[in-house]
Amino acid sequence: MSSPPLILDIKGNALDDGPGIRSVVFFKGCLLDCDWCHNPESMSKKSEISFEAKNCLGVDSCNSLGHSLCEISCPEQAISIDNPLLIDRDKCTLCYECVETCPATAITQVGEIMSVDEVCQRVLKYKSFYDSSGGGVTLSGGEPTLHMEFVSELLKKLKSNGVHTLLQTCGLFPYDKFISLLYPWLDTIYFDLKLYDEDQHRRYCGASNETILNNFVQLHQLHLEGGAEVLARTPLVPEITDSESNLKAIAKFLKENNVSRTQLMTYNPIWQDKWDKLGYNSEALVDESLKTWMNQVQIEQCETIFRDAGLQLVK
Amino acid sequence: MNKLTHIPFITEQSNRLSFNEVFKNTIRKPLLNPATHVLLQVMAAQFTLRPSLNRYLKGVDGWINFIIGFKTLSGSVEQGISFNNGKVKVLTNIPRHAEVVLTFSNEDALVEMFRLPPNEALNLVLKNRIVLEGNLAYLQAFNFYVSLLMGDKHQKMLKKAQQDDELAREKDYGGGEASLCKEFKARPQYRMTCDSNMVKQDQGVNFLDDPYLPNYSLEDFPRLRGFLDDHLNHKAEVCAERAKWITRYYRENGFETDNDGNKPVPEIRQAQAYKYLMSNKRPIIRKNDLLAGTTSSYPITGSVVYPDAQGVMIWGELLSIDKRSLIPFDISQETIDSLHFDIFPFWAKRNFNEWMREQNDYPICQKINERWVAYFVWKSIGISHTIPDIPRLLEAGTLGIIDEINNRLKANDPVIDAGTNALKAMVLCLEGINSYAENLASLAEVQAEELAQQGTEVKRQKELGELAKICRKVPMQPPETLDEAFNALWITWVGLLNENADTGLSVGRLDQWLQPFFESDIKKLSSKKEKEAYIAHAIELAGCFFMRCTDHFPLGPDIANFLFGGASSTQALTLGGVTPDGEDAVNDMTYIFLKVTEMLSIRDVNVNARFNKAKNSNAYLDRLCEVNFITAGTPSMHNDDAVFASLKPHGYPQNHIRDWSATGCVEPTISGKHMGHTGSILMNLVAGMEMALNDGYHPLMKWHLGPKTGSVDSFDSFEAFFNAYMKQQTFLIDQSVELNNALAAIHAQYRPTPLLSALIDGSIKNAKDVTRGGALYNSSGVSNIGLADVTDSLLVVKKLVFDEKRFTFAELKQVLDNDFEDNTSLRALVQNKVPLFGSGDPEAVDMANRVAGAFHGYYNRCRNYRDGPYTAGFWSMSQHVAYGSLSGALPSGRKAGKAFTPGLTPQPSASKNFLDNICDVAKLNPEFMDNNIAFNVKLIPDSKDTREETVNTMSAYVKTYFDHGGMQMQFNVVTSETLRDAMAHPENYRNLLVRISGYNAYFVTLNKEIQIELIERTEYGL
Repeated sequence: MSSPPLILDIKGNALDDGPGIRSVVFFKGCLLDCDWCHNPESMSKKSEISFEAKNCLGVDSCNSLGHSLCEISCPEQAISIDNPLLIDRDKCTLCYECVETCPATAITQVGEIMSVDEVCQRVLKYKSFYDSSGGGVTLSGGEPTLHMEFVSELLKKLKSNGVHTLLQTCGLFPYDKFISLLYPWLDTIYFDLKLYDEDQHRRYCGASNETILNNFVQLHQLHLEGGAEVLARTPLVPEITDSESNLKAIAKFLKENNVSRTQLMTYNPIWQDKWDKLGYNSEALVDESLKTWMNQVQIEQCETIFRDAGLQLVK
Repeated sequence: MNKLTHIPFITEQSNRLSFNEVFKNTIRKPLLNPATHVLLQVMAAQFTLRPSLNRYLKGVDGWINFIIGFKTLSGSVEQGISFNNGKVKVLTNIPRHAEVVLTFSNEDALVEMFRLPPNEALNLVLKNRIVLEGNLAYLQAFNFYVSLLMGDKHQKMLKKAQQDDELAREKDYGGGEASLCKEFKARPQYRMTCDSNMVKQDQGVNFLDDPYLPNYSLEDFPRLRGFLDDHLNHKAEVCAERAKWITRYYRENGFETDNDGNKPVPEIRQAQAYKYLMSNKRPIIRKNDLLAGTTSSYPITGSVVYPDAQGVMIWGELLSIDKRSLIPFDISQETIDSLHFDIFPFWAKRNFNEWMREQNDYPICQKINERWVAYFVWKSIGISHTIPDIPRLLEAGTLGIIDEINNRLKANDPVIDAGTNALKAMVLCLEGINSYAENLASLAEVQAEELAQQGTEVKRQKELGELAKICRKVPMQPPETLDEAFNALWITWVGLLNENADTGLSVGRLDQWLQPFFESDIKKLSSKKEKEAYIAHAIELAGCFFMRCTDHFPLGPDIANFLFGGASSTQALTLGGVTPDGEDAVNDMTYIFLKVTEMLSIRDVNVNARFNKAKNSNAYLDRLCEVNFITAGTPSMHNDDAVFASLKPHGYPQNHIRDWSATGCVEPTISGKHMGHTGSILMNLVAGMEMALNDGYHPLMKWHLGPKTGSVDSFDSFEAFFNAYMKQQTFLIDQSVELNNALAAIHAQYRPTPLLSALIDGSIKNAKDVTRGGALYNSSGVSNIGLADVTDSLLVVKKLVFDEKRFTFAELKQVLDNDFEDNTSLRALVQNKVPLFGSGDPEAVDMANRVAGAFHGYYNRCRNYRDGPYTAGFWSMSQHVAYGSLSGALPSGRKAGKAFTPGLTPQPSASKNFLDNICDVAKLNPEFMDNNIAFNVKLIPDSKDTREETVNTMSAYVKTYFDHGGMQMQFNVVTSETLRDAMAHPENYRNLLVRISGYNAYFVTLNKEIQIELIERTEYGL
């Protein structure tokens, strides 16, 4: 029995994570290690501490006898206001005293344990909105399929309550386990296809894409036979996924497998400070090319590749 | 005190004062008194000695005499200025009979008043740094005299202030993308069609193939396009027509006593003056209009002076009202002279406020009202916040109603003297309207004839010929066609607006009442082509009606821009819902009005839509959402079931409840039968809390006006504090009720309203003016501002002070008194550790219900002058900004001067999830909200979504909210970026409509504080 998953967040009133009004359950932990990951706080399975400098009141406002309250609270003396990232992660033992102490919620715990019932209760509260809008619950993260048993139970409960279920996945999971534990209770699967070339995938995402591609082919086949809807999605990342060769290869792959539609996700560069919040130096970590928005011309060039291949692009 | 005999600043050439020079030499405090004396002496000399100024001291009725006193609280300054029979003298103390006294909280306030441009000096008054007491009409007269002297200087100051403001706006808000403006302007270009399956859902739609009418746009109606352009490009003009006629009448016939020395019966006096006015009112038919008649003598937009109400309050601005930065009004020299010499002196002592003051010995309740921060009682402005019995008018015509009244007069039951006069007065007023209609008919004939002789504009000739026939017939006879019906309504409307100030008189359920005319007309046509043409004509007619409704704008002094930012007369139209029998009421006219709403996107008519879950269709709801999207903020949407539930406890029969209409902003009244004066009191719920924190003392007013309920250390439990709050707030409620009731008596006594009475069900039967309770149903409605802020403050105190004992109440109070400056971590605690109303926390909802219920119960037990109950509403006009700017820091974490949330909308910080807000607001008990609510939502359109997807999401929000029991919801569909761009470049956003809290306004006409509040409202993406 694997350890219970940590839930990062349950976002309500989500309009961009599937049809209608939805709640999104974000799971912590992912098998991949993509250079551009927009949710770096979801990569590790383990709990972490985040420090958001802009919420911090500053030691002048928040102190006791000249020391900031968080400094005082730390039994490992890992906190110093002179440290721009606040916490020395090597010393930190994740006791969360500082989280408790901070009045401004500038220091927060990333990832909490919740039971299936607790998650259900949180999302079922909004069922009437799902019903009236054709929405439901989306599972995302991180990678939800890292927690098959938990997710299975959750999906079963949601389906028994008549809720539309949607899974966002990177596609790297054991197929048979997926089919028996998750598939029967999934309405829609958003399946990422990031890089077609095996070596590139290893290099930029940290693992082979062989299983991913195989999983996609099989799930899409099931869909053509009447199974759960599968939507292929490709994130457009400057100088990594947006190359003509990659996109053409993906388009070819989709056509070969009788896929008629796909979605391209335009790049959003404003995730880097999340690394800072987690205690890593984003300046050092993140490449220059990832720091700007794509412009309309670049986006259209990418779209044209898919259209030329005869694929319909979903907005 | 130095007595200066030489006045160094007057030369033969110079007629400009140099206040700055005075103060440069004598700024030191001990010399402030003599400095003031000198200034006043300068003024006195100017006005006494110079004929060109002296002539302003005499009006048509004689010298305008009054005394104004200036003093500081400490007594360091005390001076008076007396205007007496053409001589102006400075007094070194203020006599007891001075008409107005200005008390300055300290010396700085006095200095600032002299230094600042008038619009900023206003701020001193609002902030209670200057307290005004007495007959403020004379203060306005004094201000007018000052403006004669200051002339260019004030204008230069104003101009500079405006230029500075423009630069600041460009700096703070500029840099937006040009595309922002385009997105908004492009919205009307795409229009949804109604799915043919959906069309079948509306049983009452019989003639529109596609009720969404997607094939029409404003470009198809050049007539309306022209009207709209005029509306957006013209300032309103101050119109003294009404005032001139009634003043003339009273001068010739007497007001307090008639020419025989007898006291006239108020109803008859009023009616006779009214009939005289309407018979003499200049008939005007605006070029190209399909409706005859204009509210004022300015066909595009006029601002009518109601000197018996608050008209005198613009006396001081006569020379500057066209140059002020917010909502300026054009004014002709003739009007200025007329108002100053003829009209205002006559009415200075004859207006609601003055009668109130004199009769009741200037009671405390009135003084509290004049301190701006605790409550605002509307009756000094007007009472016609209701819906006339339009169906009755359309059914009987004015002659039919006159017959009914005459029969009543003859009837064999004991009709007492007062009753006879009330009825006779009604007849006189209706006759006045009939004269006006006949004059319009004659004018139309003349205009048609002129065009015929010129041989031009054949189409217009025909239209004028038609109009002439129509005006010979209506509103005397019942109308039979839609053209006749709209004209009957409009002419009567002009009549009503000439009787009472244009505040909240509402048109009600026009889709219901006009549908029969539409149907009768279209059934007479046989070919498809004719029917199409007729539908276009009906749209155009409705559009003309909407545009006619914009032909008047309330005349407000500059302070109104602060208090009621951008509000027009809020003539509420109510669409949809169910018929009195409970059937689906959505019909062809409903969709025609929605089409006009979408095309014109104007602030007044204030469009409200009822949604009845059981009977109204999804097609209708989707269309409501689409119109909200295209216009960015109208119509406001109401859940029939919740409103019914709120009205039921009052015992109205169910068929009347089903016939409710929104009145003014959002408040329900029983259409045509109900004097509900639903905006009678605007109550600041935070004022009582500030007083509870300070043992009955209000920090801004610097007045210990409330009961003693103990200092914060004395509260040993949360309940103790809650009770103290209740005690303070109910004290304020009692005071406001006392004032409202006393003013109601004044209305009944001095200025009854026979025309409105003739058109409200009950008055004829009861033979009583509505001011005396003649209407079938009587109540007074209150709007309570700050519910979320108060609830959140109570929650914080309960949880952190009493439950968790994180700090003492005294510690909290100290932090509040310093506006959180020296303890931001306590503020952070307060903001982060307590689940607020709107967060989804059940305890927070309970607290909101507890507060709303307590006040509702209290109000319901109060009786008004007409022996009806008070009702409790939780919408706020723009008072959430006005009161917020005058209120101190609160336990909820709100800093001093910050706006409260609009209506009862939860704090932006309550939850990241908008659905929590929706659910919490829906959980409020409708029975506590019998004067409705405003729940504001700002949605950001997503450019990736199709129109259909956007509408689907919006509909889902509204439907689910209503399913959960929510009562009302109103949208602003605009991004903060767009609003910021509009602040920097108002010229690109003339018609950008926003929903404040119950009403619409053009964003660019709002004061800066309201604009900022709108920008800072939480956005939710679509």
